[in-house]
Amino acid sequence: MRWNGRTRCALVCIGFVLLFSAFSFRLVYLQLVKHDEYAGLAAEKHVYKQPIYAERGAITDANGEVLAHNVPVEIVVADTSHLNKEKVAEAVALLSRDLKIDADELWGKLGSDRHYIVLKRDVPESAADALRAKLREQNLRGIYFEHDAARLYPNGSMLCHVIGFTDFDHKGIQGVEASMDEYLRGQDGYRYIEHNRAGQEIVLYRGQERASRDGYQVHLSVDLNLQNIVENEIDAAVREYSPERATILLMRPQTGEVLAMANRPNFDLNQRSTARPEQMKNRAVIDMMEPGSTFKIVTAAAALNEKKVRPDTTIYCEKGIWNYGGRTLHDHRPYGELSVQDILVKSSNIGAAKLAISLGDQKFYEYIRRFGFGERTGVELPGEINGMIRPPQNWSKISITRIPMGHEVAVTPLQMTVAMATIANGGKLITPRVVKSITTADGKTISEFSPSVVRQVISEETAKQIGRALRGVVSDRGTAAAAAVPGFIIAGKTGTAQKVDPHGGYEKGKYIVSFTGFLPADHPEFVGLVVLDDAKTSKPELNYGGLVAGPIFARIAEKAARYLDLAPQPDLIKPTAAGRVASTSAPGH
Amino acid sequence: MNRSRQLNRVGAASLARWIVITALLAAAGLCYVYLTLQLHRLGDRKKSLETELMGLRTQNDVANVQIAALTSRSALQRRLKEGYLKMIPIAEQNIVRLAPIRPAPEENAIRPVANDQVGR
Repeated sequence: MRWNGRTRCALVCIGFVLLFSAFSFRLVYLQLVKHDEYAGLAAEKHVYKQPIYAERGAITDANGEVLAHNVPVEIVVADTSHLNKEKVAEAVALLSRDLKIDADELWGKLGSDRHYIVLKRDVPESAADALRAKLREQNLRGIYFEHDAARLYPNGSMLCHVIGFTDFDHKGIQGVEASMDEYLRGQDGYRYIEHNRAGQEIVLYRGQERASRDGYQVHLSVDLNLQNIVENEIDAAVREYSPERATILLMRPQTGEVLAMANRPNFDLNQRSTARPEQMKNRAVIDMMEPGSTFKIVTAAAALNEKKVRPDTTIYCEKGIWNYGGRTLHDHRPYGELSVQDILVKSSNIGAAKLAISLGDQKFYEYIRRFGFGERTGVELPGEINGMIRPPQNWSKISITRIPMGHEVAVTPLQMTVAMATIANGGKLITPRVVKSITTADGKTISEFSPSVVRQVISEETAKQIGRALRGVVSDRGTAAAAAVPGFIIAGKTGTAQKVDPHGGYEKGKYIVSFTGFLPADHPEFVGLVVLDDAKTSKPELNYGGLVAGPIFARIAEKAARYLDLAPQPDLIKPTAAGRVASTSAPGH
Repeated sequence: MNRSRQLNRVGAASLARWIVITALLAAAGLCYVYLTLQLHRLGDRKKSLETELMGLRTQNDVANVQIAALTSRSALQRRLKEGYLKMIPIAEQNIVRLAPIRPAPEENAIRPVANDQVGR
């Protein structure tokens, strides 16, 4: 080979070709073979997935009045690796003063070497803005703000057990907040973004993005106007009788919509951290009680429906004392012959017991279950219990005489209301509802709850017969004359049950008094239940359902009828319920 | 002399073509840089508008919360109790009820008309 200029030139060219080929191969290797690996490493440095938080849906009443919604707040966090060590004292002083946090606590938090320390949650926007400005002014780094939302309940303690509340992760814990959490929560979105060295987003390099979907709005069947009436009356009852517990319910019998639900004790939803567990219980669905004489509607309805008796069939009530199964059963008055109708009106224990015996254990038990006792009603409230109904094989010899008057059984106030609603609704058992519909924020309906008939418990005719008998209860002849509302015919039943001692037997001198009824008796617009546990009356002989719970029901019913614009019958306008309480001498049972 | 002139001559057309190509490439490069800068600027503007919008939404939410709190039943009751609001219950005799209109059994049915005013 001749070593001339041309050869040297060729060699240089070949050298370059080889060099650039090597570079090219390396480039191809990095760009194609190692692409994913290095792209991942680069993304870790610059790209991150920014969450876009969905807003939790609001809860409103039947008229659209807001019961629960969100307020924008900020979470103040610290990254100690970004804090200037010489300025920690300055930061502690500022944060302690502005966020009202103990300085020692702050020193403890900022003294660690963690990258993410939550200093305070639920800081209002205005306070956060002021603090942000001060931090900038004093050139303090390492303190950051994160957007968040706090749940706010404008009505405080009103309807607290139904609405419920959320934890700090915005997860429903109680009430509708928990049962409807799936709808209220919404779906968070995300966005892949890149930061520059200063930590600012480079909008040009925004990656994949998915918008968030805000939570749906849940509309309750509860009407806040009726709820307000109930809350005022339950407060008045607590002031007057100082009961251990109290529950009042209003329900529309045809649809099962719960119109109002109040319990005492209660708590303020905005200050739930200070509430005791006792205050947080929704006793309408998680508390069992012996219903007492209100349960006689089940006994009478079963006997009438099975055609064992007619409303005018007379039953001998043993002059108030009857020995059965080696135990004595008493009536509060020595009744002789009473019609089935009058057994309800006078609330005869012996009469009710004889009606149940005519049915037999098994049939009577079947009717109790058909009325919905011993199983959850299916209302959209968490923690609902079944109550306690023992099967006939577990009954004692005298159970058939005690269960008809509401002893040896345990029911929830809601179950008792639903049973009375069944009478008001022509014998149809309806699932109670607290949620009316679910919509998007702009009003598009997602789901609407229509009335759900569980079963026809008794015939329409039997329901009418019971309804007629229950009108007599709220009359001068009955046990609940004080529950009468001027201008309206009310059907109802009183209940007075001795309190069960958790250690066995009954507590002496302690009673659960109740009244459940509906109005107007012909075309019921609402069913109501008033229960007071251990009401303290001025005299022990006044502690009866008809004298304590009856007037409370009357006051609620009168106001509710006015609100619902139910026209009173002029010929029925008589003295007010309060006046009747003073004048009545017959003890309500 | 003529031969050397012929050898060193640069073709005007060729030169012009290269100048045009270079100019176009330079313009394209400048456009690319300009447009990229514009994109960055628009991105920043978009970000600031998003921030502004979020701020407005926050203000709106805060205002809504204040409205809800001030018009809530509890707040109104409190104001009523404190005497800022005056409400008088409507007495029964002041309520005038209109009889509900009962629809005809059949919408198009012919119904007899009773008009006592018309008579001769």
